Amino acid sequence: MGLLTIIRKNRQKEKEMRILFLGLDNAGKTTILKKLNGEDIASVSPTLGFNISTFLHGHYSLNIWDVGGQRTLRPYWRNYFEQTDALVWVVDSGDRIRMQDCKEELHGLLLEDRLAGASLLVFANKQDLPGSMTDSEIRDALDLHSIKSHHWKIWSCSAVTGENLVEGLDWIVADVAGRLYYSTTASLVV
Amino acid sequence: MSDTTWSFSQTFSAEFQASRTDLESRVQEAKSTTITADDLQILAVDLAKLNKTLADATGSLPGYDQRQFELQVKAIEKSLQELRPKSKFAFKRKPPGPTTTTTTPTPAATSNIAPPPSTTTPSTNLTLSSHSSQYLTKTALPPASQSSDLSISDLSNCIVNLLDSKFSALHIRNLTDTVLLLPVIQGSILLHDLRRCTVVAGCHQFRMHTSTNVDVYLAIQSAPIIEHCSHIRFSTYPSSLSKEITAHEFSVQDFSHIKSTPSPNWAFIPGLGGGDGKDWPVGGVEDISASLSKLLPDDSRR
Repeated sequence: MGLLTIIRKNRQKEKEMRILFLGLDNAGKTTILKKLNGEDIASVSPTLGFNISTFLHGHYSLNIWDVGGQRTLRPYWRNYFEQTDALVWVVDSGDRIRMQDCKEELHGLLLEDRLAGASLLVFANKQDLPGSMTDSEIRDALDLHSIKSHHWKIWSCSAVTGENLVEGLDWIVADVAGRLYYSTTASLVV
Repeated sequence: MSDTTWSFSQTFSAEFQASRTDLESRVQEAKSTTITADDLQILAVDLAKLNKTLADATGSLPGYDQRQFELQVKAIEKSLQELRPKSKFAFKRKPPGPTTTTTTPTPAATSNIAPPPSTTTPSTNLTLSSHSSQYLTKTALPPASQSSDLSISDLSNCIVNLLDSKFSALHIRNLTDTVLLLPVIQGSILLHDLRRCTVVAGCHQFRMHTSTNVDVYLAIQSAPIIEHCSHIRFSTYPSSLSKEITAHEFSVQDFSHIKSTPSPNWAFIPGLGGGDGKDWPVGGVEDISASLSKLLPDDSRR
């Protein structure tokens, strides 16, 4: 076994990803995380500040930062950009009135240098509620097709039923893993 | 660039060039002959596929190659566009006979590349909007087969009584001098731009933004929040309006005043169950403005 193999194996064992959960207030960011963690979602209050949760997903340890989405808190989002591997943008699919707002905030984020290269997962949340916009309507409303700078994908989901939460996370972890693997080999080859 | 990326971009470029030249020659061929709607559709789908593989490879290709490929795809797109109007034109030239099987494929072709198959049926939601000086009940809403998301917007001098309706979530915006009587719902309530209003509601989460001079009678388990608001008063849900709920005390968070001192923007209405003494207009009213002046917050309080 060569030295490189040992190093590579070692690095693979300790893979960590930093994932940032953002979105307008009332999108359901905290509720999604609580649901993923198997915690009670009935007591979730609007987030003042941020929550961090860490859990294992496959071979990876995910550090998830969930930052409050109220307007007064949005200027603080920038404090969390550093070292972000993936961005999860959560949308309240019933909030037709603020879709424009939602689009502007998202596209503003994608211009950030420190988020360049982060994969983007859009969660069209609250699909359990009748009257919610579908994922294809949200894709158009948020103009996701114009995004060329990031790998992106939209998943319809429901934090209440848990539908598609794990599947969405699977996708983003696999997407980031592909990228990290490239960079690992690159740094070893050079 | 690493070996893996390099070899990927090598294989990708070869494959991409092959399918591109194939597609290009087919488009050229189509130009010289008359093209059917079906053929055009096939070309459009192939082009979309090509575009997708290129988009998927973003980040794994050298920047110059990426740009070149994008330009090539654009060029094909353009020549394909030139083919389209002709078929549309031919369609219009047809004698206005009964539109039967012969004409049906054409509209399918003129519609642009179909989006990937996901849920494409347009969704609808309930709205209650643009009324003034009215007593509104659920008859003002379109009949809904199941509990849905409701948006209430642009009302003035109204009393809205939806106590016997069911909703999953509420979005409320731009109300003036209006009383809202709402049931206890499972989801969340989001409010923007209320001026001099009284809101009776129960929900899982409550957020109020950019509002002023509002009385809120609330049944809630979590902490309600306000942001950019002033002169807001809170109390518990009136027991006279719902027998099932017991009034819980709650604490309010003011996101515009994140300090240890009490927020100047809101207060509790003195005494628990502040709404119990009020005469809530559940059965309709004779004089809207008289009823409103009794129920709305005092204007002089501001």
